[in-house]
Amino acid sequence: MGSTTLRRGLRRAGILLLTLVTGALLVFLAMKAAPGDPALSALGENARPELVAAFRRDHGLDLPLWQQFWAWISGALTGDFGRSLTLAGGVPVGSLIANRLPVTAFIGLYALLLAAAISLVAGTIAALQRGKAADTALTSLAVLGVSMPDFWLGYVLVFFLALNFPIFPSYGFVSPVDSFTGALLSGFLPALAIAAPMAAVFARVLRAALLDVMHRPYVQVARSIGHSGKFVFVHTILRNALIPYVTIIGLQVRYLLGGVVVIERVFGIPGLGSLMVDGAFGRDYPVIQACALTFLVIVLMTNLAVDLLCTRLDPKARA
Amino acid sequence: MRRMLRLLAGARTLSLGLLITLVVLFGILVGPWITPFSATEMDFINVLTPPDGTHWLGTDSFGRDVLSRVLSGGQISFLISAVGVLSGAAIGTTLGMHAAWRGGNQEALLMAFCDLLFAFPSFVLALFMMVVLGFGMHNVMIAIALAYLPIFARLARNLTRTMMHEPFVQAARLMGQRPARILVFEILPNIFSTLLVQASVGIAFGIVMEAGLSFLGLGVQPPTPSLGVILADGREYFQRAPWVLTLTGVVVSVALLGLNLLGDGLRDLTDPRLRKAAGP
Repeated sequence: MGSTTLRRGLRRAGILLLTLVTGALLVFLAMKAAPGDPALSALGENARPELVAAFRRDHGLDLPLWQQFWAWISGALTGDFGRSLTLAGGVPVGSLIANRLPVTAFIGLYALLLAAAISLVAGTIAALQRGKAADTALTSLAVLGVSMPDFWLGYVLVFFLALNFPIFPSYGFVSPVDSFTGALLSGFLPALAIAAPMAAVFARVLRAALLDVMHRPYVQVARSIGHSGKFVFVHTILRNALIPYVTIIGLQVRYLLGGVVVIERVFGIPGLGSLMVDGAFGRDYPVIQACALTFLVIVLMTNLAVDLLCTRLDPKARA
Repeated sequence: MRRMLRLLAGARTLSLGLLITLVVLFGILVGPWITPFSATEMDFINVLTPPDGTHWLGTDSFGRDVLSRVLSGGQISFLISAVGVLSGAAIGTTLGMHAAWRGGNQEALLMAFCDLLFAFPSFVLALFMMVVLGFGMHNVMIAIALAYLPIFARLARNLTRTMMHEPFVQAARLMGQRPARILVFEILPNIFSTLLVQASVGIAFGIVMEAGLSFLGLGVQPPTPSLGVILADGREYFQRAPWVLTLTGVVVSVALLGLNLLGDGLRDLTDPRLRKAAGP
């Protein structure tokens, strides 16, 4: 305890920071290598040369590359990502991100919780009923679940649910800041569409992990001591199966964010994903860079959280 | 006994997956030539007709036969995904095997780079690449390849590391074979099946990725009928003709189901330990 934990923590933080800066550099250089002049795409192909020069000076595009990178990365650390080239006459990208991030976080967490809840039930039933009809049905449903493109599923859900049950709006999104119930209802179909393929993956992993643990000697020991079946399941089997389950949930956050990008666009949700797609159409490189970097930060933070959680869950790793 | 049963179950999944995949492959390879309708020819008398005996999946807003479009679109989407995933797999595997063999700083550096690429959500990475490279079919392939490169590099590196100290590799080393020869002829055949499983699941996800990008309008551009383009078309008139989007998606799901079952079956047959490392 003490110094080793601290040293390990510092090492991790260092690696995290290095990854972040390298990632930012990569994003920056790739954007610079992209064909097309951002000034011309913002002002139009036939813009007057002096206007183009003013635009370039205004956005710092005439500075040397390393100075531009330094300006961008040092600004980014304080939440200043520059100004948008196309949206609303140059709004600060930082405030755009700040407005959109809570929406994406809400939808993402909502989908993650739905997926976790569905998979916890389905995976447990499949493992307990191994080889019986319920297992076969759930396992087949899981393969089908991973095979459906989420944005298509979103549309079909809208068609069948929103039109028959008007409590779920088919388009638009109520911000959780305005009305939490409204956000829960209007976010339900999008979240479900993202959750379905993920729930399938989680359930399969949980089923495999439960089956793997069920026949371990320590489970037999717990049974032979005289613990009830329920107690053994919750405290011994599920507890040990949680580690691969939590790990896969963490890994799938990358995939979830990809789903969020498309689904936000499909359902007209003003989140980070639809911002990035808008930026892609307008070749608005400050917006795209900022979005890519924000997604990178989210994934890195998730990885860290999963690692910490697994260390807590696994007594062997804690020592 | 139990192993036999498991093998049989794996074989059942495998054969079902293989069957669906073969039917789909036959459909997209031969289909466009045997359907009576062209994928691009317009027919303004039969606009948005519901599915019937002549047009099995109905027609779209230009009177084009949706089934013919799905078959040609499937051909294009499958090609994009397969070329993308396989080139990502080839480059990633080469890098990963090289890294495992060399070890030291080179390995650490290569793996750090792969970890960095892997830390971007694949769809976000693909979207980003579409902005950098420009929209269009070839760039979707490159984006998919880049998304799969780190996955295969890491997998190949880990598998190679487990193989490196096997007796037959040591024997080849003692015989004085060159490293490249050992990697290609001794190690690669032993890790190939696992890579194949990843590739078959990868191609399924690559199709979803292409469809997603093109659905948003960032991928393949309209006159070319890819699956994403057809789905995006179907969204335009979803209220009037829901079958275009719905049925196209059903066909896509069946095709992906085949590839996923194929991957599962192969995995069950080849390496039961790997079943835990699921995920697209």
